[in-house]
Amino acid sequence: MTGLIRYLFLGCLWGCSFIQVAQAERMVTDLSSHIIEITSEFSGTELLIFGAIERGIPQGDGGHAVAIEGLDYDIIVVVQSARHDMIVRRKEQIGPIWANRDFRTLRNVQGYYAITTTRPLDLILSEEKLNRLEAGLEQLEIEFIESTTPAEKKAFRAGFIRNMKAKKLYYQQEGTISILDGILFRAILEFPANMPVGDYQVDVHLIRDGELLLSERSPLEVGKAGLERLIFKFAHEYPPLYGIMAILVALFAGWLGGFLSKKLSG
Amino acid sequence: MQIYLPIAEMSINIFLLLAMSGGVGFLSGMFGVGGGFLMTPLLIFVGIPPAVAVATGANQITAASVSGAIAHGRRGGIDYKMGLVLIIGGTIGSYFGAMIFTVLKATGQVDLMISLAYVVFLGSIGGMMFVETVGSILRNRRGDATKAGRRRRTWIDALPFKMRFRTSKMYVSAIMPLAIGGLVGILSAIMGVGGGFIMVPAMIYLLHMPIKVVIGTSLFQITFVTASVTFLHSVNTQTVDVVLALILLIGAVIGAQAGARVGLRLKGEQLRILLAMMVLVVCAKMAVDLVVEPAEHYSVTPVEVIH
Repeated sequence: MTGLIRYLFLGCLWGCSFIQVAQAERMVTDLSSHIIEITSEFSGTELLIFGAIERGIPQGDGGHAVAIEGLDYDIIVVVQSARHDMIVRRKEQIGPIWANRDFRTLRNVQGYYAITTTRPLDLILSEEKLNRLEAGLEQLEIEFIESTTPAEKKAFRAGFIRNMKAKKLYYQQEGTISILDGILFRAILEFPANMPVGDYQVDVHLIRDGELLLSERSPLEVGKAGLERLIFKFAHEYPPLYGIMAILVALFAGWLGGFLSKKLSG
Repeated sequence: MQIYLPIAEMSINIFLLLAMSGGVGFLSGMFGVGGGFLMTPLLIFVGIPPAVAVATGANQITAASVSGAIAHGRRGGIDYKMGLVLIIGGTIGSYFGAMIFTVLKATGQVDLMISLAYVVFLGSIGGMMFVETVGSILRNRRGDATKAGRRRRTWIDALPFKMRFRTSKMYVSAIMPLAIGGLVGILSAIMGVGGGFIMVPAMIYLLHMPIKVVIGTSLFQITFVTASVTFLHSVNTQTVDVVLALILLIGAVIGAQAGARVGLRLKGEQLRILLAMMVLVVCAKMAVDLVVEPAEHYSVTPVEVIH
């Protein structure tokens, strides 16, 4: 934790040492880690996103900043993974059996999407502005590759979001960020063990009085590490060799197991 | 303790996996069956994607049958020529099975097919075993003796392409073992089983092979055919999880040791009834899951990247 405080402190110093005349506020943000490694013990993780707001307005003559009183800032943090096409299937009753029947392909959707805010979204920004930012599960833009009626779009979209929420890959937490002294903020996001690998982006939006003031983007990389990475890459890049390796490992392990159990049983 | 499985891409409690494979190993040691037909459904029940459960199940069975095959081979319990014919059939069967599997996986029907195949096969095998065993217990109570005699000639003896199998002292058509091997290969590829529960009765009742070479030859075939299935699934769908297979193997080896000891103390008929009931329970669970309306009708899968 002391390391974190030091980072925050350094972050503030760094932030304060810049002068940006064009904007009234400045914001510095960082992540507790820019790389998440999935190793054999991985069972999900948390990411801390923190930052500082400089509320002062620099004076044109380089004089001291003047703080604005009586106005509250809002923060929206959005973390999302790279986008891929996904298939949503719907089960229908065929005879006595429930089976996948209809499906839709969603173009370029996030495999992971989390949003956390200082207050309920509708109190922070207008719907139109939220839509532009794609801030909020309701606001996500979901496009279908197959032609789909509006009613079906709604049903498949809802089914998709329910699935992703159930897997803890999509979530929305409103009012969980608090701003300390109107300057420092922190948000904690959770990642489940089944999080997709790849490049993520973390967006922090600073809002005051229904106006988006600033947005900061930081990259986040999620990758398998160590043996997990080796096995996964091997399986996907050299499938025939992986197959042969799997057979040899099984033959050896099976032989060894038989040998050991014969020794132990007498 | 959680462990992350690199191919299944999920985190699962390692002790749960060990307990499951230990339990299945125990049963397989006690009943003298492979246990793949219990392992794969259990993996699916705990949330392993069905495609990974099947492919990894086959990989684990390679490991589970190799030492048995070696032991039988040393004792002269393998008819290698018959084994080879069964393997040829099995390899061809597994190729087609894996192809069906790949196509169904791409169209989102693989889970349904796996469940249906299990319900049909477990239901018929479990039912037959149950009826047959209850019948034989009743006959024993009444004291009827089973009639012994020279077996009658059937349509199987009339098939062409006859081959001589010296170890089994048989002269039969190669078509029948090829077909049996082929069926077992298909089942192995789409259900993640060794197929001993089909092959052993087929060898005894259809081919009339001598009992002393049946188990060894079946294990010999299973080792090669599940290896072929492992290879095909690795190439086609990348669903073989070596880490999962190794964990399952550890549990299975330990469980089988304990099971074999308990099995010696129980009567054959009691064992068969128990096994039949267990097979029927697994079958019923899978059947219920197919028929009951699911809580969530929608499911999401990433679009497969074509390699």
